Amino acid sequence: MRLKLDSRAPVYVQVIRYFKEQIASGALEKGKEIPSRRELANTLKINPNTVQRAYKEMEELGLINTEGNLPSKVTKDDVIIRQVREGLLTEAIDTFVTSVQALQIPLEEVIPLLKESYEKERESGGI
Amino acid sequence: MIEVKDITKSFGRKKVLTGVSFTASKGEITCLIGVNGVGKTTVLNAIMGLTSTNSGEILIDGKKINKESYEKITFIPDTITMLPTMRIHDAFEFMNDFYQSWNEERAKELLTFFRLQGHERISDLSKGNKAKVNLLLGLALDVDYVLMDEPFSGIDIFSREQIADVFTSHLIEDRGVIITTHEIKDIEHLIDKVVLLDNGIILKEFNAEQVREEQGKSIIDVMREVFRT
Amino acid sequence: MKNFFKLLNFEINRFMKLYVVLLVTVFVLQIIGTIIAAKGYMRMANNAVLQGGMSQLEFIETYEKFSISNALYSVWFLGPIAIGVTALLFYVFFIWYRDWFAKNTFIYRLLMLPTTRMNIFFTKATTIMLTVLGLVAFQIVLLVLHNNIIKWIVPKVYRIDLSIIEIANAFEYLSIIIPNGFAEFVIAYGLGFSFVVVIFTAILMERSFKLKGIILGLAYISASCLLFLSPYSIQYLITGKAYLYPEELFIVQIGIWIISVTVSLIVSRYLLKNKVTV
Repeated sequence: MRLKLDSRAPVYVQVIRYFKEQIASGALEKGKEIPSRRELANTLKINPNTVQRAYKEMEELGLINTEGNLPSKVTKDDVIIRQVREGLLTEAIDTFVTSVQALQIPLEEVIPLLKESYEKERESGGI
Repeated sequence: MIEVKDITKSFGRKKVLTGVSFTASKGEITCLIGVNGVGKTTVLNAIMGLTSTNSGEILIDGKKINKESYEKITFIPDTITMLPTMRIHDAFEFMNDFYQSWNEERAKELLTFFRLQGHERISDLSKGNKAKVNLLLGLALDVDYVLMDEPFSGIDIFSREQIADVFTSHLIEDRGVIITTHEIKDIEHLIDKVVLLDNGIILKEFNAEQVREEQGKSIIDVMREVFRT
Repeated sequence: MKNFFKLLNFEINRFMKLYVVLLVTVFVLQIIGTIIAAKGYMRMANNAVLQGGMSQLEFIETYEKFSISNALYSVWFLGPIAIGVTALLFYVFFIWYRDWFAKNTFIYRLLMLPTTRMNIFFTKATTIMLTVLGLVAFQIVLLVLHNNIIKWIVPKVYRIDLSIIEIANAFEYLSIIIPNGFAEFVIAYGLGFSFVVVIFTAILMERSFKLKGIILGLAYISASCLLFLSPYSIQYLITGKAYLYPEELFIVQIGIWIISVTVSLIVSRYLLKNKVTV
């Protein structure tokens, strides 16, 4: 598990985002156990209190569920997982669109380039 | 909670600390950062009752430091606190003799964690390993608060990584930790609270995560602002 | 109390190696001295009697019989005593300062022990007293050994045998370390103990106030010395003669030591608790 941390953004937000990406991509399957707070803090070299906060927030968002003293598990709720996926996608597209629009490039010109770049990335194993 | 209230300390005419106040809570890692000056170590010494102050008050869970406090709070200075002629297990025996809070099991666990051998003589250890033994002696006490003076300075990168690992492990548990450093890079994501100290004056006290969230600034950004003005 | 003994045991162990070296040095040098003196005497006697044609009686009349006193005033004998005294005096200071100035700052550990800090003071003072007494006891055993070596080298006709008590009485410098009587013992070691406590207090003053502390410490030592000497000096200075009986002087002295030790302990306790700095 690897996470390149941005020192200007709250660490707990970055942790949540990391989990969202893992869940959206399917790397973390639904219903799967996630590491304990201590384990994650240790792997990511971050403060255990921060992980605690991230887990609490994820619980509130319904991304993970904890029953009693058992390890937390990824939600089995497909609706939530879909929402996460859509949320991340919307965000990515928004960013993309903003940058492209700033360059004043028409959509027709962008789409073939986008396709080409996407294929290339996939072939090189990037996605 | 450790409460440092308005302490002032001078060596002769030189003022080392001027009206220093801050708090450190259990379950949090508080980092005392100073770019220059000797104030940081003096603050820790004062908390531990290892030096006198000219004015002000320091309370540990509401009480002034006394001999019983040393079962509740411990200090890991930047040099090892055992005799060079001792072997590691002699040091264990010494600690076990005097401290009720000494946890032999934890000590052995730490020994394995740091990949050290009990029969090694302290004087034969490398600088990094000495720092680890020093840390071990403090962490194997079942105390609520641990103070560490520059735990990362002057040792090799691998020892540094190992020591950083301690902070995220169960070995710290929910203790209150105060560490001093002049170099934040290795640990900026590990700490909860930052206290910026310069020439004996507290310039700023803040929660690292809060500053990131509310102002989008890194600890180093804040340091830049504070120390440059 | 348990902590006191654990700490005392620890303090003594720390000194053991050095102490054993010291005892061995004293042993070797003194024994060599006695052998040299006895052999030298016998060489002289043999030369005079066998080659010079002197009778044994004539030789004894001219040169006197050999006794341990022939060995006791040599450098071989006095040197080691001087070394021992110097080493222990040095150790009175070293026993504190090594904890601050060694590479490994043991003073942090000592001051952070969950026990009264006066235990540190008392264990260090006890260590000094025990090692002094140990050295004296060792010297007494050595005197017995000297006597036996002399018996072994010098034939009966040529020697006078002295018991330990006779030796201690005959040599004033030995009677200080080997007192012959309870009062003398109390005077010699009471003064020694008070002096150690006063010096420890001065050291703690220095460790608490650094430069100012040195001045304070020296002033404290000087004042204590004046106080120690006052029963003698005052009576001679004022009246020009002794006006206290020895028994009275003894009581006054004990009173002075009790006062000086008490004051020193109170000051030391305060300094250790509130002022001492790592």
